[in-house]
This record gives sequence, structure tokens and C-alpha cells, in this order.
Amino acid sequence: MEFDATRPIWLQVMNALEMDIITGKRRPGEKLPGGRDLALSFGINPNTAARVYQELEKAGLCETRRGMGTFVTGDEARIAAGRDAFIRQTVREFLDRMALLGETPRSAAQIILREEE
Amino acid sequence: MLKLMKYEFRKTWFTKLILLGVTAVAEILFLFGLYLENENTLGTSVFLLTILAIGGVLVIGLQSVITLHQDMNTRQSYMLFMTPNSSYVILGAKVLEFGLSVAVTGAFFFALGTLDITLLFAKSGELNQLWNMIQDFLSRITLANGTSILNLNTQTMAIVTFNMLCAWINMVTTAYLAVTVSAALLNGKRFNGLLSFILFLAISWASGWLEQIATQQIPSVETSMLVQGGIALLTAAVMYVATAQIMEKKLSV
Amino acid sequence: MMLESKEVTKTFGAKTAVDHISLSLEKGHVYAMLGPNGSGKTTWMKLAAGLLKPSYGLVYFAGEPVSIESRKHVAYMSTEPYFYTWMTVRDVGKYYQDFFEDFSYDRYLELLRKMELTESMKTKSLSSGMMAKLKIAVTMARDADVYMLDEPFNGIDLLARDEIRACILEYATEEKLLLLSSHLVEEMEAIADRAVFIKEGKLVECVDLEDMRTQQGVSMADRYRQIYGHTEG
Repeated sequence: MEFDATRPIWLQVMNALEMDIITGKRRPGEKLPGGRDLALSFGINPNTAARVYQELEKAGLCETRRGMGTFVTGDEARIAAGRDAFIRQTVREFLDRMALLGETPRSAAQIILREEE
Repeated sequence: MLKLMKYEFRKTWFTKLILLGVTAVAEILFLFGLYLENENTLGTSVFLLTILAIGGVLVIGLQSVITLHQDMNTRQSYMLFMTPNSSYVILGAKVLEFGLSVAVTGAFFFALGTLDITLLFAKSGELNQLWNMIQDFLSRITLANGTSILNLNTQTMAIVTFNMLCAWINMVTTAYLAVTVSAALLNGKRFNGLLSFILFLAISWASGWLEQIATQQIPSVETSMLVQGGIALLTAAVMYVATAQIMEKKLSV
Repeated sequence: MMLESKEVTKTFGAKTAVDHISLSLEKGHVYAMLGPNGSGKTTWMKLAAGLLKPSYGLVYFAGEPVSIESRKHVAYMSTEPYFYTWMTVRDVGKYYQDFFEDFSYDRYLELLRKMELTESMKTKSLSSGMMAKLKIAVTMARDADVYMLDEPFNGIDLLARDEIRACILEYATEEKLLLLSSHLVEEMEAIADRAVFIKEGKLVECVDLEDMRTQQGVSMADRYRQIYGHTEG
């Protein structure tokens, strides 16, 4: 994975895992790689990897069981909420950019509908 | 210490191998000469073997000093100085390896010489002229009190060996000091090489002078040689400490 | 504190290579030591490795001044190749095994395999990239407390850099301290979590990289450019 070195790397890895969880690529209750393995697979510092799990846990998307490792949360409502939050954020970012081009949410929606046809 | 000595040997073994190879050729020549009863071949080979016995130790000493020079002035200095060993141990391994090499070389040539002379003696009936020549040559080599080396007893032999070994160790530690001063203190200065060579000559001279002063009142040659060896060894120890100190304090690896 | 540098200064004749550097490095972190060539990184590392004596000040390892004893626990990799010319890759491993109790020949073999080196290769005929890999393999095969690698990515192709990064990360545990110097700043953005900037022998700053990204939105490379300007060397 290529990182944007001007933004916190833990956040970028966290976003990538979030994406895997809300798209179902990683199933509820699935075991996640250990901190060291996460560091190795993403090529990041182990402290950064530990931060990723801390933040994911704070967001309620994963849980650490002592001596067992870290797992995707089994709480599907939580994942659905995460999915909603991600959608809303993506839409907001999209609308912010459209606003720069002078489009209102309504006109942007029309553009989207036209694009679909 | 043994591991360091092992690597000191590894660094110098090629020179020793060549020395051994040349000696083997000279010895084969000698045996051929003996078999064919060719006095010319015998003469040449005896001359070669004598040169090798004397020059061999010098070559080994030179190789040891060159190795130290490389160990301090090239990138390979890390190899020694990154190990958890003090300069005293690192230098000590070099001195001991050299001392051991000289002792083994000396013993080797002594054994070879004895063997060759015995062989020659066995054939001497047919080679009278040459045998007489060699005997004459050997009898000319005498100690200061006029004892021919053909008539030495075990004790005198031991003292002569001790004396020579000390002299070699003294020479090599002097060279070590000069090389170390050159690498650590004079590094980058003009006439670095020349200055360190002058230092080598000056210490050698001073050490020789000290030996002379100490032994000139001693009438017995054997005692005198013992004292001379002892002083050479003592000055070698002083130079060893000085060299290790300079390495410890000043060396930039 | 694993490594502590107090007012450390090193002069060579009239030139001051390291100028009153005070710095504390903790275990459990990977530090990037940055600065242009000649800024004093190598000299500071050699002082910390006990290969040079400071002209003033001291470096402490685990509370004790750096000494012959600390060489048993501090693995330093010089930027230049330094093996004896007669050595094969096997000889190099045996040499480390002879002198470092924390060296594991099995781990060395594993690293050689990853780096695509074989024991029978002669060091004399290694390409500069292979030599760089060999130096890393033999250094990282030690189970030291501190690893100081001077320019580990120098002369190494893109693919092998990944190998080296993986190897470094594998060893970056909570108990160990890694210090990497490099002028290839981008190579270290993700693997280092702290950076030490050195300029003209002086310490500029020691920063936490993720904090810096969060608070200032700048990368290590950005900060590097801010400190040293656009001219290198």
C-alpha cells in the first residue's frame, strides 16, 4: 500500500481496514492479523500498527480478547452504523468538491442520475 | 583470545604457505643432489635453505606488521574493533600469534637442518669434500666466547633460542608501535611514513643500547644472553602497553 | 533510556564533526537519523558504537558509558563494506559467530535465503547491492538490544529494499531500539516512528512522526526539506 506521508499513517491503515470490514471483505467476528503481522503486511512501524487497533477499537469496529488477538466486532449493527457513517462522509466530501464547482446538492444529484443512464 | 589468534593466522597463512612451498622446493633439490651426488645442486640447495631459515622469520615478521597496518588503515579495521575485545587483547593476539609462528618456524628449520645434516653425514663417505666444506662453514659460526655452534649443549641451545625469540618479539612490537603511531597520531600529516620509520629505528637503537649497557659487565656469555633477552622482552612489553594505549585512546575506526 | 548522548562532541583536528549533541533514544522505537552527507550522523553512530571516543561528553548505553562491554549488545553496521577480502559469505557468518554471543547462524541462513545470497559466494566478487544485503543479514542475525544501521538502503534495488524493510520491521520489537540513517528519506517514512534531524554536527530536533503528521500535516520528507532547504550536501 502506498501512503500519503503527509497524513498520519495509522489513519490510512485504519481506513483501509474499515473499508474491508464495512464491505464485508472481513466478516464479523473474523480474526484480524496480530499487531506485528499487520506491521509487516503493510510495511509500517509496529507502534503505528498498535495505534491502528486502538483506534479501530475506539470506533467499535474491532475488539481485543486477551491472549486471543484482535477480532472484527460481532455486533453487525455497529458495522452497519460504520457503513452509514462512511457513506455519509464520502457523500459530504463529494458535495464539498461539487460546491467548489458551483453545484448544489440537488444539481449534483441530477448529474448523478444522468450519469447512471 | 584464541579466536583472535585464529584469524591472525588466517590473515597471514598465505605468506607462510609460500614460504613452506619454496622451502619444499629447496629441500627436494637437496635430496636430488644427495641422490645424484651432485655437489653443485647440493651447494645451491644448502645455500637456499640457509637463506630461507634466516629470511623466513623476517618475512613472517614483515607480514605481521603489514597486517596490522591494514587492520588500522583500511575499512577492515571494523572487523577487529567492532568485536567486544579491548585493544590489549587484540594486540596481544597479534604478538602471541607472531611469537608462536616464529617458534614453530625456528623448530621446523632446526629439525629440517638436523635431518639434512644427518643424511649428508650418512653419505659423507662419498661426498667428503662438501661435508668438509659445510663443517668448516658451521665451525666458523661461533658465540662471543668462541664456542662453536657445533659444540653447543642443550642449555646453551635453550638460551640462544630464548634470546632470539625475545629479539624477534622486540622487533615486531617496535614495528607495531611505529605503525600505530603512524595510523593514530600522525595520520594525514606530511612525512607520516618517514617519521614512523625513524621512530622505529630510534626505538630499536635505544633498546639495543639498553641491552648493551646492561650486559657489558657480565662476563658469562650465557648469562649475558639471558639478560639481553630479558631486557628485549621487557622493552617489548613496554611497547605493547604503549601501542595498546594509543589504540584505545586515539584510534579512529 | 537505552541510548543517551550527553553533550557529545567529536572534533577531528580543526573540524567539529559532532557538536554538543544531547539526545535520548528509547527502546521500542525505530528512529530515522537524517541529515545530508557530512552532517555528523556516521560519526555520532560510531561514538555510540564505541568505535570512536568523544572529545567531550559521553554516550550511555543502558545507563553505563559506552564501552567494550556494550559492543556485546549494540550491533552497528557501517556504511562501507569492511569484510576481509578472503572471506566467503559463510566465513563472514562464522566470524560473527566467533565474536558475538547473540549471533544466530540459523537466523543468518534464513536471512541469506531471503536476500538471495548463498554461503559459498565470495565477498570479493559481490556486487554493491549484494554486499549491502550481506551486511544487513549478518548484522540483523544478532539478537542485540540496539541496531544502528548506517545507510541500509544504499546501493540496493527497489525490490530488495522491501526485503530489508521487512527484516527491519520483524526485529523492531518493544525490547529493541533501531536507528537507521539514510538520505533516502522516503524509504523510511512508514517504518520509522521517530526522526532525529542533524545539521552541521548539531541536533536540530527529535520528533514523533505520527504526531507531526497529525499536528502539522507534514511528512518526514517535508520536514527534511524545511530544515535543509533544497540543496543537498
